[in-house]
Amino acid sequence: MATPFDTTRVGAGSPRPVRIALRDLRVHFPTASSIVRAVDGISFEVRAGEAFAIVGETGSGKTTTARALLGLHPRGTVQGSIRFGERELTALSEDEWRALRGRHIALAAQGAGTAFDPVYRIGEQIAEPLREHLSLTPAEIRARVEALARQVGLQARHLVAYPHQLSGGEKQRAMLAMALACDPDVLIVDEPTSGQDVCARAEIVALLRRLRAERGMSLILISHDLAAVAQLADRVAVLYAGKLIEVGETRAVLESPRHPYTWGLLNAYPNMTTTRDLRGIRGELPDPAHPPSGCRFHPRCTQVVEQCRLVEPPLVETNGRWIACHLGGLQTLLRARDVRKTFSLNGADAPTIEAVRGASIEVYEGEVVALIGETGSGKSTLARLIVGLEQRDDGRIELEGEEMTTLRGEALARARRRIQYIAQDPFESLSPRLTIAEIVREPLDIQSIGTPSERDARVRDALAAVSLPTTPEFLARHIHELSGGQLQRVAIARALVLDPKLLIADEPVSMLDASEQAKLINLLKEIQTMRGMGLLLISHDLALVRKVADRIVVMRRGEIVEEGPASRVITAPRDEYTRALVRAAPAFSAEIGD
Amino acid sequence: MRTPAIAFALTLWAVLTLNFFLPRLLPGDPLHALFDRDTANYVADDALRARLAAYYGLDRPLGAQYVEYLLETVRGNLGWSIWLNRPVSQLILEHLPWTLLLTLSALALASLIGIGLGAEAGWRRGSRLDRVLVTLSIIATNAPVYVVGMFLLILFAARLDWFPLSGGRTPFARYDSPFAAAQDIAWHWILPATTLVLHLVGAKFLIVRNTMVSILGEDFMLMARAKGLREIRLKRAHALRNALLPFVAQLGAQMGMAITGTIFIETTFDYPGMGRLIFDAVAARDYPVIQGVFVVVALVVLTANLVADWINARLDPRVEVK
Amino acid sequence: MMRADETLFGGIVVALFVFVALFAPLLAPYDPHALVGKPVESPSAAHPLGTNDLGQDILSELIFGARISLIVALAASALTVALGLLIGGIAGYAGGWVDIVLMRSVDVLLTLPRLPLLILLAALLGAGLPQTIAIIALLFWPHTARVMRAQTQSLRQRGYVRMAQQFGGSTAYVLTRHIVPALAPLIAFEWVMAASRAVALEAGLAFLGIGDATAKSWGLMMRFALNFRGLLMGERWLWWLMPPALALTLLMLALTFIGVGLEKRWQPRLTRHV
Repeated sequence: MATPFDTTRVGAGSPRPVRIALRDLRVHFPTASSIVRAVDGISFEVRAGEAFAIVGETGSGKTTTARALLGLHPRGTVQGSIRFGERELTALSEDEWRALRGRHIALAAQGAGTAFDPVYRIGEQIAEPLREHLSLTPAEIRARVEALARQVGLQARHLVAYPHQLSGGEKQRAMLAMALACDPDVLIVDEPTSGQDVCARAEIVALLRRLRAERGMSLILISHDLAAVAQLADRVAVLYAGKLIEVGETRAVLESPRHPYTWGLLNAYPNMTTTRDLRGIRGELPDPAHPPSGCRFHPRCTQVVEQCRLVEPPLVETNGRWIACHLGGLQTLLRARDVRKTFSLNGADAPTIEAVRGASIEVYEGEVVALIGETGSGKSTLARLIVGLEQRDDGRIELEGEEMTTLRGEALARARRRIQYIAQDPFESLSPRLTIAEIVREPLDIQSIGTPSERDARVRDALAAVSLPTTPEFLARHIHELSGGQLQRVAIARALVLDPKLLIADEPVSMLDASEQAKLINLLKEIQTMRGMGLLLISHDLALVRKVADRIVVMRRGEIVEEGPASRVITAPRDEYTRALVRAAPAFSAEIGD
Repeated sequence: MRTPAIAFALTLWAVLTLNFFLPRLLPGDPLHALFDRDTANYVADDALRARLAAYYGLDRPLGAQYVEYLLETVRGNLGWSIWLNRPVSQLILEHLPWTLLLTLSALALASLIGIGLGAEAGWRRGSRLDRVLVTLSIIATNAPVYVVGMFLLILFAARLDWFPLSGGRTPFARYDSPFAAAQDIAWHWILPATTLVLHLVGAKFLIVRNTMVSILGEDFMLMARAKGLREIRLKRAHALRNALLPFVAQLGAQMGMAITGTIFIETTFDYPGMGRLIFDAVAARDYPVIQGVFVVVALVVLTANLVADWINARLDPRVEVK
Repeated sequence: MMRADETLFGGIVVALFVFVALFAPLLAPYDPHALVGKPVESPSAAHPLGTNDLGQDILSELIFGARISLIVALAASALTVALGLLIGGIAGYAGGWVDIVLMRSVDVLLTLPRLPLLILLAALLGAGLPQTIAIIALLFWPHTARVMRAQTQSLRQRGYVRMAQQFGGSTAYVLTRHIVPALAPLIAFEWVMAASRAVALEAGLAFLGIGDATAKSWGLMMRFALNFRGLLMGERWLWWLMPPALALTLLMLALTFIGVGLEKRWQPRLTRHV
């Protein structure tokens, strides 16, 4: 099986030799009742001088991998191959391992607080590996320890102190000094920033960068701190339930993750640049003793197909990115390319309005894309074109890879189910003559889905999903008996009843009161996360979409002028128009009240 | 914050106070019975009775009695033995060395064995050696010490005749040299000491072994291993060194256990120590002697606690030494 | 698995002793106090374990001795646990200066050499079974109090206890509804261990000549046996000294094994792969 590798851009010239190469590494721990498959077949390579990060959550197998690289697991639990240069490490005896540990491969373990023996001084413990592996005179050892201390930013007084007298940050540095004592070829750092305050974290990251630059050793960074990974690693591998699911260049992976889990993980991660609220991944982390069949992520994945349940996806490379997904990564729900629409008013020489001029937009699985612009920018037109309420003049619109206009009959009906639309004015889009129940049931009736009682059940489910009552009394009401907010919920319920994959909401909250707006937006978010729907949110309210959107697309006079991750577009807009929009957006500041 | 010195003084004071008040407060009024003609405990000998009256001072107010008692004790006057008609302090000085010989030597031996075996068993937890030793120590700790003593007495002294049946040394013996004296004493010492060692070693073994097991799961042991250190160094310098800390902390309690064991052992082997003394005193209802032994034994145990604390402070850099 | 065997073995043996103790009058061939034979007779059909120096049947003494041991064990351990739970529980639950005062006193008591103290007390109080029981409980309760206090303290911090207090639950309510039931496994463990030690101590005190001289305790049997001049000549010790010694050891071990088994059940140890 091929392994992910990449030439690192270290200085000029040819790729450096491979330091560590894992092939199909498995670490299985037998327990009383079952076998815990902590690491279940991972392969990767780390080259000389490269910084390789392994990220994942609890139980993913990160620390197990780190320990396996030092042979710290009991005999019989490790299978597969670990090559260090020319040597096969899994075949080593305990004595051979001991000669290697601390000398050529070093570990700075997780939890600096407990990594030191409480009864010996720090300096002594840093000197221990020197004494064990190198034959130096006591004077040389002392000199070396002092040099190491200086390198990591510690002073002489730290060396004579006992572990309990040092702070967490100081112990972290001391642990690095201890790991680097014998100048190893590979340094494995396990969670260097966990449990530390912000300043300490920044210092540690800076220290690691400096050490790498100075020593040129390979660095394997195990972490769930994506910020540290972003700053330290050349490449990153994402580990889930003992398997690698995505490997690639760090910046690329963090900016545009391709695997659904990676994407979900990034969304769940708080950082200073994101303004959007946190979003968790539905479901739970799997039990390492009883992992799911097929793709390990499939119970939580929103784009799961039958194959995902049955067969494990292999790690496959595309354009320098390795992904383990039967569908090749996150699905593109919607792809619109060069869409054009021109309206002509009545009359022969009537002026035409180019509402949409060659706009292209994409929405991925589970993503919220906000399409913003002023009135007249063409955003609503584009939305209606996508849904099919208007016919476009030119361009392609693909829904889940299928070109919409070529569809007929059954295929068209199916497509209609998968994409749903919520308009701005509920009084317009909901019939005043029908009862609520009839309104919500209408799509099912039209498409003749299920028996009448099944349809009623789905209606009730949809109403419950939008937190509306399902009493017969409520179901029999008419729209004039409900508030604006309730009506929009009914509209959403109606959209949901067909179980769509893509929801297009055109200014869904602009006609509602502020408190209703917040509730409705939150509701949309919640539904979207749970069902893994894509959401294309049309709005003019930048402040509102900030809270919801993953990506923002800015439209002006029929053209797309800017597009990118929400945080970037808002904090560092590239286009002049976008900048103007951001400036004009209402902000609460102390200067209000002029 | 209580320093060891303050704890020592406070507990000693508690001991003396308890010693003072117990006979005076308990039902049956045993002290007055000594001077009451109608009771069985009446002391007939006038001179003796006078001495006891002077020592206990029952006619004086309680506060004065208390102060007098404390002063006398500090001066070394622990009363007068009813049964043997001699100063209690003298009796104690005769018997204490034997007890110390027995107790201290047994503690030392039991510690060495306990630490040695405990470290090995803990290091190789789960192995056959470990399981066997753990079972044996549970049995050893729980088997009543006098039962063990009797067993050894019967087997090695009565049956095999390897060791003497009783006593600290051969009665009325005359020695040619200090070496001969030492040899005779050692001869009589072996069985009681073995019994006490067996009684103590179980608990010591278990402490060390269990601490080793928990230390082996500590992060710093993993780090030490990751540094590529040799097994000997891991075992001794790191694991054992840390395992000693709780062991030392227990030394004071161990002393108490040793004293308790000694009392039984001395009565089983007729060994002339404090245990024997108190045993005879109980039979004779000799309150001054019982009280005197109680105070002195408490002093010994408290001193042992103090020493243990001092050692602990030396070994553990996390302890602030005052 | 040694675990299951320990508790099972212990339980069966203890049950056996309880049976013997309960039905002693039926099982014993003679009244243990009655002089039914010549002094120091060897075992025979009439006297399977022979007679002691007074002419009383040793087997009957042994059987009735179980009663003393078990009564004392039960009562003393119950008293120990009750005292320990009371003092330790109050200290652990109340916290603050109440805790400090109580625990300092317990510390002082623990440091004292308690056997000499107990001997002193026994000498002053005189002989008798209730006194023996009280004295044994006085010896053991400080240790139990410490354990109970530690556990109570940790329980008091638990979320559900605080919530109960937040809801307005009185101290009595919280204690009876949450704390004491949670302490149940610990109480069971301490009880069994205290019982084992009480058996040993009772026999020990009897062996030393303290305690009720009329109660047919195993310890007393051993004391009288050892006092007998000619014990070690011939085989006399085998049927006079050994049976009570063995019975004692067996009962203690059985109780300890139950305790060890209980401990393993409610205090699982975490093992790590190093």
